[in-house]
Amino acid sequence: MIWFFARRLLAAVPTLLAVLTLVFVIVRIVPGDPALVILGDQATPEAAAALRERLGLDRPLWTQYFDFITSALRGDFGTSMVTGRPILDEVAAVLPHTVDLTVASMLFGTLVGVPVGIWAALHRNRAIDVAARILSLLGLSFPVFVSGIFALLLFSLHWRLFPVIGAADLDDPVDRLHKLVLPTVSLGLIMAAYITRVTRSAMLASLSEDYIRTARAKGVPWRRVVWVHGLRNASIPIVTVVGLYVGILIGNSVLTEIVFNRPGLGKIIVGALNQRDYTMLQGLMVIYCFLIVVVNAITDLLYGVLDPRVQAA
Amino acid sequence: MSALSERTPPLPGEFAAPPPPSAWKRALGKARSNPTTLVGALICLAIVAGAVLAPWISPFDPADQNIIDRLQPPGGDYLLGTDQFGRDILSRLLWGAQISLSVSLSAIFAAMLIGGTIGMVSGYIGGRFDLLVMQVMDVLLSFPSLILGLMVVALLGPELVNLIVAIALTAIAPFARIARAPTLALKERAFVEAGRALGYSHTRILFRHILPNITSEVMVMGTLWLATAVRVEASLSFIGLGVKPPTPTWGGMTRDGFENILDAPWLAVFPGIAILLLVLGLNMVGDGLRDATDPKLRNE
Amino acid sequence: MTANRVGKEDKTMNAFRAALLGAALAVAGGSAVQAQSGATLRVGMAAQDVGRLDPHFAVSTIDRVIVAWMFNGLVRFKPGSIDPAEIEPDLAERWESSPDGRTWTFHLRRGVQFHGGFGELTAEDVVFSLRKSATAASSAFAADFRAFESVEAVDPYTVRIRLRENVPSLLGLVTNYSGGYIVSRRAVEQRGADFVRSPVGTGPFALDRVTPNQSAELSANAQYFRGAPQIARVSYRFIPSDASRDLAYQNRELDVNYGRADQTWINRTRQVPNTVVDVFEPGELAILHLNTTTPPFNDIRVRQALAHAINRAELVRFRGQDVTREAQSVAPRGYLGFAQQPLLPHDPNRARALLAEAGHPNGLTVRVIHTQLPEMLNMMQVVQQQLRRSGITLDLQVVEHATFHQQIRQDLSPLVYYSAARFPVADIYLTQFFHGRSIVKTPTAVTNFSHCNQADQQLDAARVSTDINEQRRLWGEAQRILVQNVCGVPLLETLLVFARRDNVDYGYELRGSMSLGPLITERTRIRQ
Repeated sequence: MIWFFARRLLAAVPTLLAVLTLVFVIVRIVPGDPALVILGDQATPEAAAALRERLGLDRPLWTQYFDFITSALRGDFGTSMVTGRPILDEVAAVLPHTVDLTVASMLFGTLVGVPVGIWAALHRNRAIDVAARILSLLGLSFPVFVSGIFALLLFSLHWRLFPVIGAADLDDPVDRLHKLVLPTVSLGLIMAAYITRVTRSAMLASLSEDYIRTARAKGVPWRRVVWVHGLRNASIPIVTVVGLYVGILIGNSVLTEIVFNRPGLGKIIVGALNQRDYTMLQGLMVIYCFLIVVVNAITDLLYGVLDPRVQAA
Repeated sequence: MSALSERTPPLPGEFAAPPPPSAWKRALGKARSNPTTLVGALICLAIVAGAVLAPWISPFDPADQNIIDRLQPPGGDYLLGTDQFGRDILSRLLWGAQISLSVSLSAIFAAMLIGGTIGMVSGYIGGRFDLLVMQVMDVLLSFPSLILGLMVVALLGPELVNLIVAIALTAIAPFARIARAPTLALKERAFVEAGRALGYSHTRILFRHILPNITSEVMVMGTLWLATAVRVEASLSFIGLGVKPPTPTWGGMTRDGFENILDAPWLAVFPGIAILLLVLGLNMVGDGLRDATDPKLRNE
Repeated sequence: MTANRVGKEDKTMNAFRAALLGAALAVAGGSAVQAQSGATLRVGMAAQDVGRLDPHFAVSTIDRVIVAWMFNGLVRFKPGSIDPAEIEPDLAERWESSPDGRTWTFHLRRGVQFHGGFGELTAEDVVFSLRKSATAASSAFAADFRAFESVEAVDPYTVRIRLRENVPSLLGLVTNYSGGYIVSRRAVEQRGADFVRSPVGTGPFALDRVTPNQSAELSANAQYFRGAPQIARVSYRFIPSDASRDLAYQNRELDVNYGRADQTWINRTRQVPNTVVDVFEPGELAILHLNTTTPPFNDIRVRQALAHAINRAELVRFRGQDVTREAQSVAPRGYLGFAQQPLLPHDPNRARALLAEAGHPNGLTVRVIHTQLPEMLNMMQVVQQQLRRSGITLDLQVVEHATFHQQIRQDLSPLVYYSAARFPVADIYLTQFFHGRSIVKTPTAVTNFSHCNQADQQLDAARVSTDINEQRRLWGEAQRILVQNVCGVPLLETLLVFARRDNVDYGYELRGSMSLGPLITERTRIRQ
């Protein structure tokens, strides 16, 4: 298993390197000068030049690139040009919020989507199924910020059930959960809707398989057929979608973070881009891509657990 | 690294067997009889009509400011109220529909064209070239689409064209994948082998023999992706990457509304509903089309 | 069976939600009790995070506000005031200057302690700080200290500054503003690059910690030389979204709230129970700077047309009567040396006539680079609409804020909307925006986008003059020349706005603050 993991990470190295190179190049050709951000609007060109020299921005590009890649490989991401704080500290400070939101949304999407999907499949073409399909189509059509704003208007402003500020106190589990509710629902809505659909069609396909029919004919209780045989068979497409969506969740979380005013990875990436904080942006992208690689490796690993054929291959 | 961009990935095996060339037409026919598709089509048509007729039916100039009448609630002279500049929301919604529709249509068209070609050619050539191209596509997919959009717009500026480029960029890789998979299968098939034996040029084989066989798949995918493109466009405008003011965009209007949510909640609600309706309509149509072409569901 | 199962889940969900709500109410109640004890002052700020907390790099509003609570200067503006005439002793007890105004001697207060056990403040620290401020590599304000010849410690409690030439306000350079803050030499040397994260000053509050993207926590400096502060802690919270911050304030999660300079905001906030809205100086003067050396604005008639197209009254109505006022010159009101000028009145017909005269009978289109920063973009959209009514079309190239600042400095926009507050002496504002030395794309560039240099003589003479009346006359003359030449079209001045609970007593009347936010002093308290 460790081997599998290591192999996957190694295989992702070329992609990671390419992404890093691209980020390095893009941030340097984007107009805007970090020196002006740091020195403010009264800075003279002399002052800006002095600062650029101190930040090492006057060195040849390839030296900067080489330094960046070698230290990134060593796990050293340096310090933010704007705040002077180590990038890993900044990430460590917001990562719990991002993980909270991602895991909660994933759970929400799965815990809502899978049962509803199974339920709809079992009541195929009846009222329940039609309602589930319409609702999932509706859920699928909500851009994250629209569902977020609607939730905010209704639950925070109108009914005052939840706070407007999503930045939770990490040491207070109740506060943490309470503030997580609305962001989770708004971010996880699309995933829940999609998983409902995937589960429904996977269940339908799985229940029409021959061996299920055989099992039923043999007198295996229906409940057991559905939950053990049917679901096991349907689990592979579901896991695929869940795995895919984790990446999408992290990518989209910036919208949730804006609407609910939560700290998080997405928001600091946008902030670093706006401030032309080159080192910060580079470091964040490395960490982001790394997270995605790990998530994908876990998804693949789950395939193996669920479907012995994959492991053999 | 698999697809990270914001969209609904196809189920594994969903497009395993390429439908015959006439599938697209048959799908259309079949979809027409489906009530969901019909409702979706009606929603889309209504929005398209609003966008096209905007110059004639919008009650006010969408850019005209009436500072005295700022933040007016719905009802009264302004059916849906006014924004912080005293501009009519209804008029801006109608004009904004033009942007949403044209941006997402052009972006998907471009992605289909570029991504489809890349996938087809790459799959056809195969070997190391194919490997390299797919690696590049993976890199493209590794960027979160919103961040990629932000970078593109930061680089090129918030112009309409750049918004299209940003959205197209996030969609190229998936289209390349969609086009590549059937090409790989097709090129081993007898009729392609025969063409090669007859000495047809690669171009001819690609465009005369392979292309017609993958079009319907790419087209259905494109319809489904239109909904995603509208959503991404709105999200990018919401983050602040809209087009030049005073041009209205639904995402931008929602952002303005969000900034004024305590003083004028309707500012965020109406454009939010507009985006929701358009995406829903497109999803309903796309859904019907997919059901109609899906080989598994077709026989049921 | 399945339906039953889902039903059960539903019930669990409800129970869970009820539990959460109950717990949340308990938490909210708890925090209310804490606020009553007066222990922590919670300040909400519109920003994502603080930057470098080295005071000599504090250029953004969010950073300026907080460093003012942690650091002192040799002298200070009287709390609540930005009048240079009201500057009073701070770390220096007294000072004297030579008759020619070139040599200044400051006598330090004894027994002032730095935060965190970094010992007593001595002349060494002052010399070190001022030299640091004057060095480009270690300060964003080095250019302000151009006239400094030397800074020396005469003895541990005496500092002498020698100037190359006279400056309009030497005290302005050593006050609690920008480069004037005094840092601990030992702390800077010991902490090195970490100083920006753990700064050490002498002020009433010391930094405890910063939680990125969330808050900066400060605690009272019990050894503060003016006495221990009455407030135990200050929690400075970063909440970029206006709506979120306002709601947090309404829900009593904040005691002080950064306000939007907008009438709607003020009216709504004034209705929140037990709330005081403070509107204070300095006003930020917004000017449309016109590049007088390239078409179309090299023709003064086009510049005059643009000036006639502007309706200042409408701009003020857009932002609000309580927070904005019409501009009256190319320098902000209230600054030492400000002189009201006759500005061209709003007259669209005259504007069109002038345009026609200048060869643009069908109006003209100007490609303008502007920022996407909401408050600036909003204002520009109103300006765009006003100009459109007189036949001037602004083709706005909206770019990100960082790009905007770079591109306008590359002289890429013939019209630049710029809004700024500076040290309240006319010299600084006029020099940065209208002196030949400050023209963009030159080595000494600051923010002269108009390329005007017609008033250089007056500005240079005023700077080194020692006669205040002569200075005033020269600065007035400079403003007259610049306005007549329409180097820029002054629009409006926007004041600062903060809301507070009425039980928050700053300990002074807040009429102005050079740190752009309320100064939290040892006398600030939360009444029971």
